[in-house]
Amino acid sequence: MSSPFVFTSENQERFQQILARYPNKRAAMLPTLHLAHEQQGHITPAVEEVVAELLEVPLVDVHEVLTFYTLYFRQPMGRHHLRLCMSISCWLRGSDRIQVHLKNKLGVKSGAITQDGSFSWEAVPDCLGACDMAPMMQVDEDYHGPLTPERVDQILEATAQGQEITTAPPPDNTKTEALPIQLISEHFGNSQARELEWYRKQGGYEGAQKALEMQPKEIVDRVTHANLRGLGGAGFPTGRKWSFVPQDTGKTIYLTANADESEPGTFKDRYLMEWDPHLLLEGIIICAYAVGIHTAYIYIRGEYLRAAQILQKAIEEAYREGVLGERVLGKDFQLDVHLHRGAGAYICGEETGLLESLEGKKGWPRLKPPFPAVVGLFGCPTVINNVETLSQLPKILLKGAEWFAGIACSHHGGTRLFALSGCVKRPGVYELPLGTSLRELIYEHGGGVLGDKQLKAVIPGGASAAILTEKDLDVSLDFDSLMKAGSMLGSGAVIVMDEDVCMVRACQNIMRFFAHESCGQCTPCREGTGWVYQILTRIAEGAGTPEDIDNLAELADNMSGTSICALSDGAAMSFRSYVKKFRSEFEYHILHKRCDVEEKKTTVNA
Amino acid sequence: MPSLEINGQSIEVETGSNVLQAAEQLDIHVPRYCYHPGLSVAGSCRMCLVEIEKMPKLAISCHIQAQDGMKVSTESEKVKQARKSMLEFLLVNHPLDCPVCDQSGECDLQNYYMEVGQYDSRFLENKIKRRKAVPIGPHVILDQERCILCTRCTRFCNEISQSNELGVFNRGNRSVIDLAPAKTLDNPYSGNVIDICPVGALTEREFRFQCRVWYLSTQESICNGCSRGCNISIHYNTSLSYKAGGKRVQRLKPRLNPHVNRWWMCDEGRFGYEFIDHNRIESPQLRAVQGKLQTSDWEQVLQEVSTGLKTTLENFGPEGIGVIASPQLSNEELYLIRKIFAESMGVQEIGTRNPWEKEGFEDDFLIRGDKNPNSRGAEELGLNSDVKAILEKAASGKIKILYIFQHNFESPEAQEMLGQAGYVIFQGTNWNKTVEVSNAVLPGATYAEKDGTFTNFEGRLQRFQQALLPLSESKSDIEILSTLARKLGYPVTYLDAEEIFREWWGRTYQELEEFGELLNGQKR
Ligand SMILES: Cc1cc2nc3c(=O)[nH]c(=O)nc-3n(C[C@H](O)[C@H](O)[C@H](O)COP(=O)(O)O)c2cc1C
Ligand code: SF4
Ligand code: SF4
Ligand code: SF4
Ligand code: FES
Repeated sequence: MSSPFVFTSENQERFQQILARYPNKRAAMLPTLHLAHEQQGHITPAVEEVVAELLEVPLVDVHEVLTFYTLYFRQPMGRHHLRLCMSISCWLRGSDRIQVHLKNKLGVKSGAITQDGSFSWEAVPDCLGACDMAPMMQVDEDYHGPLTPERVDQILEATAQGQEITTAPPPDNTKTEALPIQLISEHFGNSQARELEWYRKQGGYEGAQKALEMQPKEIVDRVTHANLRGLGGAGFPTGRKWSFVPQDTGKTIYLTANADESEPGTFKDRYLMEWDPHLLLEGIIICAYAVGIHTAYIYIRGEYLRAAQILQKAIEEAYREGVLGERVLGKDFQLDVHLHRGAGAYICGEETGLLESLEGKKGWPRLKPPFPAVVGLFGCPTVINNVETLSQLPKILLKGAEWFAGIACSHHGGTRLFALSGCVKRPGVYELPLGTSLRELIYEHGGGVLGDKQLKAVIPGGASAAILTEKDLDVSLDFDSLMKAGSMLGSGAVIVMDEDVCMVRACQNIMRFFAHESCGQCTPCREGTGWVYQILTRIAEGAGTPEDIDNLAELADNMSGTSICALSDGAAMSFRSYVKKFRSEFEYHILHKRCDVEEKKTTVNA
Repeated sequence: MPSLEINGQSIEVETGSNVLQAAEQLDIHVPRYCYHPGLSVAGSCRMCLVEIEKMPKLAISCHIQAQDGMKVSTESEKVKQARKSMLEFLLVNHPLDCPVCDQSGECDLQNYYMEVGQYDSRFLENKIKRRKAVPIGPHVILDQERCILCTRCTRFCNEISQSNELGVFNRGNRSVIDLAPAKTLDNPYSGNVIDICPVGALTEREFRFQCRVWYLSTQESICNGCSRGCNISIHYNTSLSYKAGGKRVQRLKPRLNPHVNRWWMCDEGRFGYEFIDHNRIESPQLRAVQGKLQTSDWEQVLQEVSTGLKTTLENFGPEGIGVIASPQLSNEELYLIRKIFAESMGVQEIGTRNPWEKEGFEDDFLIRGDKNPNSRGAEELGLNSDVKAILEKAASGKIKILYIFQHNFESPEAQEMLGQAGYVIFQGTNWNKTVEVSNAVLPGATYAEKDGTFTNFEGRLQRFQQALLPLSESKSDIEILSTLARKLGYPVTYLDAEEIFREWWGRTYQELEEFGELLNGQKR
C-alpha cells in the first residue's frame, strides 16, 4: 500500500490552470502526471487513483499511460537523475566507455540508486537530441557533453555539491563557416533573440503582421508556391496539407506544432526553440491565421525541459505584449498557444501518435483514413507541422514565394537545418539550401571526418533513413534526390561513420532504438523490431548463422508496407540497407565469429 | 450501394461495409485476429491484409471501406506472403503449448497456421517469458505468453461491459495484457472475453482441463437464465461424461442474435447450467401415506395422479383442481397445459407467476430482473391467474388437488399453505422445497433435454433444441402430459413439441425465422 497522495494547494491551482488549456479533462493526463511527478519524485498507485478521479477516466487508462512513457518513475529515484544517451551518434563518439565509467563510479547498475541516495542513472536507448555534444547525458534538467571520464567526474561532483556546472557552451559551429544564407538560424547562439523586444527590433513578427493583412487563402497559395515541404520527415507540401482542412464543418480547427524531435541524430528543432522561440510563435500565428485556427498546441518532447522553459517564457511574454491572445498583434484575430510536454516516446512524433498523446492516451498511432486534416485532435480538423516547417513561414511571408522557391532546387523551396553528428570534426546544426551536396555539408561545413579517417557510411536523414556510403557523397540533399538514391531526407539528421565503425554494431544500435520505441500496437513492428534486434545482437556476439542474412532481408520486406504507421517501414529501410551495403561485414561476423573492423582498427573509436 | 469485385466475384454491399464484411457475403473468409464485429476496429493484427487494384500497399480489409469498382484479391501471392509473415511474427514469442492449452482445437493461431502452411521456425532467440495461468477473475485465467495482443478483450471491457479492468501496459514487444492495479475481472459479462480471445490466452476457469474441445458436441439453444433469452449453444459431451463426474454439459457459449444478445451473454447465464446435471430428480416419487417420498415408477405414479384428478373432477368439478404452471416451461408445454387443464377439464384458474419471487439484478444491457425465460409466453397464453389465491384455496381445502410445475415455493407462507393442501403433484426437474411437500413427483426434463420455444420479455419467440436425452428416468414434459391426458381419456396425440408448435403457431420450426419472431400483438 502506498501512502495517500494529495496535491499541495499550489499544485492544485496549477492543476486548474492545466485543465483550462484543454477542451476535456482527459487531455490533461500527461501534464497532471508531470505535476504529481514533480511534487513527489515518482508516481505511486495512490497518484494513479487521484489522477483517474480528477480527470474522470478509468484507472486502467492512467496505468496504460504511465507504463507507456519512459519519463515517469514508479519508484523513488536518486536526488539527481542521470540519463546517458546510448543512441547512434553518442555511441559513435564512445558512449559505451562513458557507460562503464558511470557504472563504476556510481557503483550501481543502470536504473538503480546510489547507496547515499544522491544519484540514480540509466543508459537510454533513445536519442536525447543533443548529438552535437556527443557523448552526452542529461543531469536533471540540463544536457552535458561532450563527456570524457574526467568530465563525468567533474559533473558528478559539482552536482552533488549543488554547484552550477560550468559547461563550455556547445561549440558554435554555425558561425565558423560562412553559410550562404540564413533564414531561420541567424539567431542561433544569441540569447537576446529570446526576448520579444529584441526579436521585434530585428524585424520579428513582421511576417505575421503582413499575413494578418492578407486573405487566408492568399497565404495558403503563397506557401504552396514557395514549395515549402514539411521538414519533420515526410516532406509533404505544406500549402497542400493546409488546403485539405475542411472549413465548413462548424468544428474547431486545431494546430499542433510537432516538437517531439526524437529521430536519432536530430536536434535542430531544439536549436530553434532554445534560440529563437518567437520565430516558432510567429510561424504558428501565420499558419493559424491562414487555416482559421484559434487554438494551437506545441507538443514538445518531455526531455526538452530547457527548451520548454524558454518557449513557455516566450509564450507568456507574447501574451503580455498582445502578440498572442484575444487580438493578435492588435488585429481582429484571436489565438491561444499552449505548450504540451510529452513524456518519453519517439512514436509521439508520428502525427497521430502525437494526437493520441495530446488527448491524454498512450501514443498508439491511428488508422488512416481519416487523416488528421479532417479528423484530428479531439475529433476536429487539425494541422500538424514540424517546428522547422513553421519557423520557415515568416520569411516566406516577408520575401515572397518566388524568392523562397528560388533558393533551392526544383520542387523544394528554401533552406533547411541539417543536424550533423557522428564521426565528424564539427558537429552542429547547419542551415543550407535544399540541394546542397552531402559532401559539401560534411567536408566544407563539418570540417571532414574526425581524425581525418576514411568515411565509411552516412545516414542522411535520421536513423530511419537507409545508409549511404562514400560512393554516394555527391548526392544532393533534397527529398527527391535522396529518394532516388534509395534513402530519404527525413529529418535532416546527417550521421557520419568512419572506417573504424562496425556496421553490425551500428545496425544493432539502431534496431535497439526501434525495438525500444515501437509502440507495440501492430504485429509486424512489435514482433519484427524485437526479433531483428535479437538477431543482430546474436551476430554481433559471434553466434550468427549463415541464414541470418537472408532472413533479415526477408524480415525487412515483411515489415514494410504492412504496419499502421511508418515506424516499421523506417526500421526496415534502415536495417535492410546495412545488410545490403555491408553484407561482407555481416558475413565475416557470422563466419569468423568476430569483427574484422575491430581487428583492423588501429585506434580506438574516439 | 457500392458494387465491388472480390477474387473475381461481384458483390453489392451496404454503404459503409468494410471489405472484410463484403468478402464474408461471398463466403470468403479473410483471416483476422483483432477484428470483431461487435467491437470497434483496431486494425492492429494486420492479418486481414488484402490487395486492392490501384493501391500501392496492401490494405487491411477490416478497416477499408468497400467502394464502387474496387477490385480486391484476398488470395494473391502478395497477400499470402503477408499473411504468412504476420503469423510468423505472432509465433515469435508464442510458447506453442498446444498440448496443454484448452483452446487447442478452436484456436485461430492453430487454424490459420494449418491453412497458411507450416514452416520450420527460424526463430532462434529466446522467447520472452511472461506470466502464465493467472486467475484474473472468478471465471477467467490469463496466459500472457499466449496472448497475441489483439486487444479484443480490452475493447470488450471498455466498450461493452464498460468496466475497464483490462489494459495493454508497456510498449513494443514488452507489451502485455493485464489487469489495472488492484482490479479483478469481475463484471457480469466477464466470460465473453474467453469467447472472443482468438487464442488460448483467456480461458475459462470452470472448463480448465475438463475436456478437449474436439470431444464436444453442440446444440443451439436459448438461455433460460432470464427473460432476455440470449441465444446460446450448449456444448456437451456424453461419451466421456463419467470422467467429469457425470457432467454432460461442459459449457454454454453465446450465439449471435442481432436483435437479442448480439455476440454476448452474461456470466449468470453462462455458468448457470449446473442444475442440468446436478441435484436432479431421477425417478418418479410417491409419498407413502403420511410418510416419506419413495421412488416409484412411471406407471404407478401416473396411475395415482390420473385417478386423483379424475375422482376430484367427478366429485368436486374443475374447481377442485388447481394448476400452477411455470414460466420456465416452453410455449408448447404451456399450450398443452392449457389444452388439458383449461380446455379439456375446465379448470378456470391456472397461474404461473411466483408471487414470492423478487425481481433479481437487472441492468441496461442484457440482464433482466425476471429470471424466467418464458414469463411473456405464459402471459400471452393467458395463464395469468393469481398463484397466491390458488395456494390459499388449496390451503383452505377448496382446491383438493394441486398440480405444480417446477416452482420452488420456499417462502414460509407458501410452505404453510402447501402443508395444509390436500394432494400436491409436482412436475419438475430438480429437488426443491415444493418437492418436499408433494405427494406425487413427476421428473421432467430440463430445457437442454427438450425442444421448444420461449417468448422473451420483448415478445420475441425463439426456438431451443434438444441437446441431451432426459436424465435417467425423467421425461420431457410433453410426453408426461400427453400420457396423462390419454389416461384421463382426452384425445391428445402429440408426438413432439413441433406438432404442438404447428398447431399453435401454424408453422414448422424450420419455418421459424433464424433470429426468432416478434409476437406483434397476435394472441393464439
Ligand atoms: C515514427 C515517426 C516519428 C516521427 N517523429 C517526428 C518528429 O519527432 N518530429 C516531426 O516533426 N515529425 C515526425 N514525424 C513525421 C510526422 O508524422 C509528420 O509527418 C510531421 O510532423 C508533419 O509535419 P511537416 O509536414 O511539417 O513535416 C515522425 C513520423 C514517424 C512515422
Ligand atoms: S508500426 Fe510500430 S510504432 Fe507504428 S503503430 Fe505499428 S507497432 Fe506502433
Ligand atoms: S488476451 Fe486474448 S483477446 Fe486479449 S489481447 Fe490477448 S489474444 Fe487478444
Ligand atoms: S442475460 Fe439472461 S438470457 Fe442472457 S445469458 Fe444472462 S441470464 Fe441468460
Ligand atoms: S483483423 Fe484487420 S487488422 Fe486485425
